Amino acid sequence: MSGQTTTATGRPSTRAGAPSAAPHKSTRRRAFSTRRGLVILAFMLPAIIFVAVFTYYPMLAGSQMAFRNWNLNNLSNTDWVGLGNFQKIFADPNFYVILGNSVLWVVASIIPQFIIGFALALWLRRKFVFRGVYQALIFFPWAISGFLIGILFRWMFNGEFGVINDLLMKAGLIDTAIPWLAEPGTAMTAVIIANTWYGVTFFAIMILAALQSVPDEVYEAAALDGSGKVRTLFSITIPYISTTLALTVLLRVIWIFNFPDIIWAMTGGGPANQTHIITTWMISITQRGDYGQASALGLIVMVILLVFSAFYLMAIREKKGARS
Amino acid sequence: MTKRKLLAGLGFGLVTALALSGCSAPAGDGQVTLQMVESLTSPARTELLDKLIGEFEEQNPGITVELISPPTDQADQKIQQMLQSGSGVDVLEVRDLTVGPFSANGWLSDMTTEFEGWDGWDSLTSNAQNVATAGGKMYFVPYGFYGISLFYRTDMVKDAGFDGAPLSWDDLVDQATAIQDPAANQYGYAFRGGKNGYTNAVLAISAYVAGDIDVTNAYKLKNGDSIFSAPEALEAMDTYLTLFKQASPPSSVAWGYPEMVEGFTNGSTGFLLQDPEVIAAVNESKAITPEQWTTAPMLVGPGGKAIQPLATAGWGTAEASEHKAEAAKLIQFLNSGDASIEFTQTNSLVPILTGAADDPFYKTGAWESYLYMNENPEVYITAEQPRGVAWFTEWADKADSELQQVLIGQMTNKELLASWDSYWTEKWAAE
Repeated sequence: MSGQTTTATGRPSTRAGAPSAAPHKSTRRRAFSTRRGLVILAFMLPAIIFVAVFTYYPMLAGSQMAFRNWNLNNLSNTDWVGLGNFQKIFADPNFYVILGNSVLWVVASIIPQFIIGFALALWLRRKFVFRGVYQALIFFPWAISGFLIGILFRWMFNGEFGVINDLLMKAGLIDTAIPWLAEPGTAMTAVIIANTWYGVTFFAIMILAALQSVPDEVYEAAALDGSGKVRTLFSITIPYISTTLALTVLLRVIWIFNFPDIIWAMTGGGPANQTHIITTWMISITQRGDYGQASALGLIVMVILLVFSAFYLMAIREKKGARS
Repeated sequence: MTKRKLLAGLGFGLVTALALSGCSAPAGDGQVTLQMVESLTSPARTELLDKLIGEFEEQNPGITVELISPPTDQADQKIQQMLQSGSGVDVLEVRDLTVGPFSANGWLSDMTTEFEGWDGWDSLTSNAQNVATAGGKMYFVPYGFYGISLFYRTDMVKDAGFDGAPLSWDDLVDQATAIQDPAANQYGYAFRGGKNGYTNAVLAISAYVAGDIDVTNAYKLKNGDSIFSAPEALEAMDTYLTLFKQASPPSSVAWGYPEMVEGFTNGSTGFLLQDPEVIAAVNESKAITPEQWTTAPMLVGPGGKAIQPLATAGWGTAEASEHKAEAAKLIQFLNSGDASIEFTQTNSLVPILTGAADDPFYKTGAWESYLYMNENPEVYITAEQPRGVAWFTEWADKADSELQQVLIGQMTNKELLASWDSYWTEKWAAE
């Protein structure tokens, strides 16, 4: 023990003043690490510069607009206004309705997306004829722009000429046409249906990838133990891919919260602002030129998502800890 | 081997860089390249502009024009970004809605000097001259005017027992109600409740207060109050709401331009209030034949008068342009002679050249109503809406949202008018 203590990790460490056991080796390692670090940095530099220029700089430049009177309709006065833009947002009664809409939009979209996506992934994992074709067809919507999907669904949900009403009438489910996009409740339902159709694919892709990592032997063992399908799903499949599921849900929540395309194309936030979520509202504010207020809203969105992500990740960690 | 690959890569990169730099290098032979950007883009319009630009380039061998055509929805924002960056645009499409903010920010050049002595000036109509020199500066020269008329189905009107098109807003409610038959997928009026839906509500209000309106500011009465404060405005809005409830497709709360035009061209609706550019779209319809439709003059109010808003757009030069003289030359070419006539006729615009409206083109079919309105200016009064103010987009946003609130029963007509009145009164007071 002379000249040496043990750290909390159990590794030996040299006491100050005591002669080093291998000073030459230690110096060599440091020199080697510095050179290696520089090489790594050199390789990373282009990526760092790219991200700094194209991500962080615009973010910072945009953020400073949030504290200024930055209105494209009149740029003769771009003075600092402190928290003025934030005050305007919080004083607007629409903000609270739109915040509620945003939560509804995320929750009501993600639940069916998750359930249907999971079911599709389970189905696609099975081996059957033309499985590849089905996989390609199911993944196809993910390749289409959200805005284009919004336009297509706008026509499909059109009260007079839309195919949805036509199908419902032919099926005998309704007697008179529903003006889907003209009433707040039905308009919100319509945009959520469109988003669900779009997002199912993402879950299906991610969950299928995770499912393929579950070894067949585990299922074989479960079958030998007499485990039924439901028990196997909840006791083997879901726990096995729980990390992927958790992160996929987190990613999707962030994306859906920030995904204005479908709503913007289908309703433009209407009728009477009733289908606006924060990001569509931000677009409408940007379109009338008030970049200051829109940037403030952007920062609010960032804070909301950061807080949500932090709590979500903590909750997952706690749950995992409890399980282990 | 690796070294050779590296050298080859470097060589390729160098060649590409040189080639690209060659593309953007200014020509040293006196050749001028103008960047031109349009706003109200459509494929047919871009094709025509390309053709006219080709003719201009033939006449002016020293000038090349590169036309940029962003999608209409994003065009004004794209133009704003280009102007803000201070480069990349010489000639641009300026609309009555954008001239205010663009000029307030110092992005537009006053073209008075370049247009001094232009021999085409005297050929412009007085409306075009007035718009071009509004506020004492020439920020843009209009290429045409948009005028509203009532598109209607002659066969539906006849089948409903009427012997002609409606003259007034009340007539329209009667006829559209008689036509409305949702069970047969037939509706009276192609109502505009979505984007820019407020414009048609303002048309109705303007017709009801037409006798007292300030023609230099169509949102103002002659006594200085806003048109929304007049008692007649409430009558107008009540009529307008009846038109929606009794005689329009229920989902038209959300209808914007495409749905309205589609509703008329696919044969579902009997009436449509729109700009003449729609004439071309209806002509292409496979669902209705030329015998089944035409246009009628604007609808009048109880006083027998209507207000025709003077909506326009044109070409201007960017303040940052280094080729202002050449830019003016291009604008002068587009706004004179055959080029202007072809542009206005192809795009169904009211012409800017004196005498152009005498062309047989404007005297037949759907254009007759415009001629009739021009010949009766005491009934169809031309008035200028305050579309150039910097806050007009904010107003449009607010007005659309509140009109939708009325349509879905969240606000009354009275509350709507009070809100609109106080908005404009406060803005004018702050000026």
